[in-house]
Amino acid sequence: MMAMAGVGHIIIAHGSTMISPDLNRQVLGSEAVLGKPRATHFAEYLRSMNRFVEVEALDHEPDDEEARELARRCDLVLSCPPTFEERLRLNQASVDAGIPFIDAAQWGVSGTLVVLESPRTACLECIYPSVPPFEELFPVVGAISSTIGSLAALEAIKILSGTGEPLWGKMLSYDGYRGIPTVVSLTRHPDCRCCQEAVETAG
Amino acid sequence: MKRPASNMKIHIVLTGRGQTRGDQLPGHIELPENSHVSDALAALMAALPEGETLPESCLLVVAGTHLGTLHQHEDPQLVDGQELLLLAPMAGG
Repeated sequence: MMAMAGVGHIIIAHGSTMISPDLNRQVLGSEAVLGKPRATHFAEYLRSMNRFVEVEALDHEPDDEEARELARRCDLVLSCPPTFEERLRLNQASVDAGIPFIDAAQWGVSGTLVVLESPRTACLECIYPSVPPFEELFPVVGAISSTIGSLAALEAIKILSGTGEPLWGKMLSYDGYRGIPTVVSLTRHPDCRCCQEAVETAG
Repeated sequence: MKRPASNMKIHIVLTGRGQTRGDQLPGHIELPENSHVSDALAALMAALPEGETLPESCLLVVAGTHLGTLHQHEDPQLVDGQELLLLAPMAGG
């Protein structure tokens, strides 16, 4: 969606390869690329959609330092990795770089979308001060992944283009089980380890 | 049957990871007037099947406002008819 909208430079940072369980939700994948690195394949796919877009692929999960370096080169971070450790690392990198952070997640038929820009909003670690447990295998329907992913791209496009009112400091939770969306105003954790310094510096 | 005037009704919703477990929770609970979020949570925990718990990282939301996690949260007084939303954190790429 971002490539189609003309976001000029995209960096995809993601380790591991396409496996068959991905095919229930990863719309850029296919049977033909099983076993291939996801980031490389996704980058090729995006280039094929829009020749004016520059796409970089990083075929591994960035560590703390590399995430910080990448964030310094970006206008925003869009987070959708499988673990909270990785999400919190990207959150920290975006806080350090002073750029917006969008987090998209799903489980079953439900999803959440969070749009943050510390220090003027909470950061992801304010919301999850202790790391929620990892769940390697979980149910998910591709329709919710596509929906939440598209909404995340929409928020990114709005922020980059200065259009509309991004969901700053809010979580959009879509309860697909009941078919009910809820918007939650997120509050800062007063002793957040991640963004406390940025908040104090901003005064 | 009409509820006693001193009771209030709080709607309960569990969403996010493991939301099908919400079937184990009552759709609403009745609490004495002036009860707080912690009272509602205590009633909910008592309603769970033996040995079952909710994740400590569950987000608590009342009237659209995030109160913290199940482990650490603000404890405002509830108002009759409010919804207590428990949002179990989701990841999944």
